[in-house]
Amino acid sequence: MLVAGGGIGGTIVANRIAQKLSDEMARGEVKVTVLDRSQKHYYQPGFMLVSMGEMHPKDTFAEERELLDRRVGLITGDKGTITKLNPADKAVVTADGSTHNYDYLVLATGSHIQVDEIPGFKEGAQTFFSLDGAQKMWDSVRGFQGGNIVVDVAMLPHKCPVAPLEITLMLDDYFKRKGIRDKVNLHYCYPVPGVFGIPNVNKMMTGVFDQRGINVHSQFTLAGVDPSGKKITSKEGESLNYDLLIAVPPHKGAQVLGDSGIGDRRNWVPTDKYSLQMKGHDDVYVMGDTTDIPISKAGSTADYESYVVANNVSVDAAGGGSKRDYTGSVFCYIATGLDQATYIKFDYTHPPNPPTPSQIHWWGKLAYNRLYWSIHARTII
Amino acid sequence: MSSVKLYKSIDSTSANCAGAIGELAGAINDAYAGEGVEIFIKDEATRKDVYAWAKKTRHKIVVDESVGDKLRLVVEKVA
Repeated sequence: MLVAGGGIGGTIVANRIAQKLSDEMARGEVKVTVLDRSQKHYYQPGFMLVSMGEMHPKDTFAEERELLDRRVGLITGDKGTITKLNPADKAVVTADGSTHNYDYLVLATGSHIQVDEIPGFKEGAQTFFSLDGAQKMWDSVRGFQGGNIVVDVAMLPHKCPVAPLEITLMLDDYFKRKGIRDKVNLHYCYPVPGVFGIPNVNKMMTGVFDQRGINVHSQFTLAGVDPSGKKITSKEGESLNYDLLIAVPPHKGAQVLGDSGIGDRRNWVPTDKYSLQMKGHDDVYVMGDTTDIPISKAGSTADYESYVVANNVSVDAAGGGSKRDYTGSVFCYIATGLDQATYIKFDYTHPPNPPTPSQIHWWGKLAYNRLYWSIHARTII
Repeated sequence: MSSVKLYKSIDSTSANCAGAIGELAGAINDAYAGEGVEIFIKDEATRKDVYAWAKKTRHKIVVDESVGDKLRLVVEKVA
């Protein structure tokens, strides 16, 4: 079995498969290998906390080898960088020219930011969707003395969908604590009406934004950034001046998927929402941000999906047991300041009902981040 | 029956963070002019949202029908 991608989804699913098929692996009947260009494993949800000085950058990455079950193989560098996927031949090609054949493939190649897609974005916007960007943003936030801060979401869907809400409310709280909130105008630009896509969460968060004096601009679809004039414009014809622009760039699935003729024009892979199999290829499973399922692109989604993928691919390979369906489970904490949070938990048939923000949920969010390395990535639970 | 070529089909009958309009807007962004995006939704409120969004963005709804307990809309991208 090959697992393409050693991020949250790929790592967790490889570890779960190893647990499921430990006997078969011990007998040499099953081999599980993770392919990734990097030896480093990044915990991307931590980047937002880095951008607000709430997490140290070094706490957002670890050696992938240390997280993987010792029975799982890991290939990195050119040998682990996939350049071509060929599901018809059950093979992937890597940058060193090797061909890796598989019986079963798990695609967990994630979503990737596209800072060049919108004119001026790279030069004018700060973003916490990369570790480097998050560190730079914290410097900018710390040094900000007053003016317009614009938080903008360029395009949906993107990874960690609640992050724009969180960063806006954390900024509000940060400048309040600093005693200069009255000198900071906070603006939130969203490409669809409202501040979030789920109706009751949108209603709740619109109320919170209103109470906190945050200016909402929606629908505002980012058309361009003018870095010298410090102005953004929307496709709807609105323009807004900024002193600090914090933006979520457009996202795409991995380029190798497009290069291999897999996926739509944004490289999201057509996936059955219940079985998590790639449409038309029963021997390929897809998980996490990689799928085209209209659901949260988030680490928790990948974690929930990993139970289904690990179970079903194990049944495929070893027989016995019964297959499971993914029922759309998602869980995301939503920070509403620097010491409070709420959360959304939902699935295909049960919409979320976020509780009143409290400090308990903030501690829950921090605890989850801390426990990721010791519990979640290693699939202790 | 519409003859618009479909770029993509979206099942937005469950809660999702981008919402029906977010998923639709993303797909329309990537569609070519003249192509359509098909979306399945559950309720009348979302249907109204799709109409309001299409009016504002000047895209055209070319199919609006019930399919079992779902609503099926096809939005054609206008350049």
